[in-house]
Order: sequence, then C-alpha cells, then structure tokens
Amino acid sequence: MIIYNPCNEELIKERINEAQKILDSIPAKYCFISGSFLFKKDYKDIDVFVISRTKKQIKPIDKKINIIMIDFNDLHSLFYHSVSKSCIAKNILPKKPLKVTITDYWNVVNEAIPTIMNEKDKYHKNIRFLILYTEYFKNNRILDTYELTREIEKFKNFKEILEYVKREIPIVINKSIKKSYIKKYFYTQAGYYKNSLEYESQRYLYELSHSIAKGAA
Amino acid sequence: MVGSQEFRNKIRSMISQKYNLEFLGSNFDQIASFISESKAQKIYSWVQGVIEKKIQPITISSKKKYKDWRINELMAFRHPFNIDNVEYRIMFIKVKNSFYIEFHLGDHKYYDTVRKSLDLKKGSY
Repeated sequence: MIIYNPCNEELIKERINEAQKILDSIPAKYCFISGSFLFKKDYKDIDVFVISRTKKQIKPIDKKINIIMIDFNDLHSLFYHSVSKSCIAKNILPKKPLKVTITDYWNVVNEAIPTIMNEKDKYHKNIRFLILYTEYFKNNRILDTYELTREIEKFKNFKEILEYVKREIPIVINKSIKKSYIKKYFYTQAGYYKNSLEYESQRYLYELSHSIAKGAA
Repeated sequence: MVGSQEFRNKIRSMISQKYNLEFLGSNFDQIASFISESKAQKIYSWVQGVIEKKIQPITISSKKKYKDWRINELMAFRHPFNIDNVEYRIMFIKVKNSFYIEFHLGDHKYYDTVRKSLDLKKGSY
C-alpha cells in the first residue's frame, strides 16, 4: 500500500486500514482511494478509482463505494493528476506528464455555466472541474480532492461563483496564452453564443468570451 | 408508474412539432417503467421549462457532423434524476432556434456514450 500525501494533510488513521481492505477487494493492479473518506470524519461515499484498459464492471463490497474507472489514455488529464495527488493506492501509480489546453478549460466553463444556472442550490458537484481548471491556470497548482473541496466551500452561493468566473477567467486566460490566439479563439466562441442570446447562460458566456478577447486586444 | 408509451406521448404532445422526435436509450422502456407518477410530473415540468426557455442549454462549438447537422447547430438540455439511488439522466437535443430531435434517457454509461457522440468531454465526478 502506498500513501500519497504531498501536502501533509491529516489522514484519519482508522481509515487507512479500511482503505487497504477495500483496495485488496478490487481485482485490479492500479487502484486508489481519494477524497473525503480519507480526511473527513463524516463522508458520503468512498471514491475508489480504478485504472484499467477494460470496461469490465467491478462490483463493490460496500454500498458506499463508488467505483470510478480511469482509462490508461487519461493519465495525462488534470482530473487524474488531481485525484491521485493525495490518495492511498494499492501499488505505485503510473504517471504521465500533464496535458491541459485552453480548449479543455473553455469546454469546462462552457458546460459549467448553464449547469450552475440550472441547479442553483446543488452546484457543489458541478463546479469541481471549473475550480480545478481555474486554480491550475491561475496559480499553476493542481489541487487534490481535499483542497478542491475546501476551495468550493468558500463559495456561499451560485452567484458568488458566477462573479468569480467573470472576475478571474479573463485575467487567467490572458496571462496564459498568446494574445493572437485568444482573439481568434474567443471571437469565434462568441459567434456561437450569439444565436442563442435569449438564454441567460449563453448571454453570460457571450459576454465572458468577449471580455476575454477584449483583454487581448 | 407511468408506461413508457404514455411517457413518450405526453412529451410529444408537449412539444407539438411536425418533426418526429426520437426517444433513445439502451433501456429506455425499462427505465421509463420505473418512473413514478410524481417523478414523471417533475420531468414534464422540466420539459415545459425547456420549451419556455427557462432551462439553460449546453452548446458545443464542435464542427463535427451529427446526423444531418453540425454539432455547433445543436443545443443539449440535461436533467439528472435518480430512482432508488440509481442515477439516470435525460439529454434532450434541439436544433438551435428550431425543433427537438432526440430525447435520450439512460444510466451514466449510456449518458457517457451520448456525450461522446456530441463531442462533449468526459463528465464531472
């Protein structure tokens, strides 16, 4: 069993043995447990990640176990780098260099905004990628699942998230990539939203993409 | 419980359009048969929200082809719900400023397949 804990966060000791039992029950070489189960007294479910080439379903030994399959081709993703940063693993985990693009980031923003507006009171789960990507491009820092939860808990409601996006993203993107690329990419994006301005989310994304492109002008 | 045909008919009557809306999903009939009357009412009221443009769509800038359209000509409305702790999702696809083309209903595995075909990246966790 390997414990990854680069930020020296306080693990709940009893959970380490439990984690080992769970990992032993998983018929895969590369699997790990990450998230609130390791760090919080009260937890809702146990996130067990299994890296596999096959799509074979694994039956968990406990109802609280939530199995998440990760394909070997996704080891370069920000998601994998985040969930595997602080975790308990069965074996040494395979690593691949991180690959993140502004297009990936914008895809996350594009989907998060309508989702937040639709599920105003249940935004916590839906903004994980949004905050993860924003913090990465803003501070070049990969948040682990625990840090990410802490960041999300700082928001009191969905309006604060929308304000945060409007305030941070134009700055973050403008410092991250070439201005000529920003102008071309974000004016094109704005064009896609232009035909759907009767929707609040599309209006928001239209104005946001314009604001990013203007920052590069 | 609502029957799957009744469920389809109700949604078809709500959107009232000439274009034939397709109901898709690997276990559509089975899942629809699990939907209670009260849950069905919630889904109908969500569909009404879509029609009244109160539900926010996801648009995708991809130029890839999807049936007779480019993906960037479409919008997707997503509705997650659960029955007995099993999560299901509806994905309702519309051509921008035009008619509805598909109503998907399935579990998360099916949902991931639909996402992939619409060029949406992997879902949240």
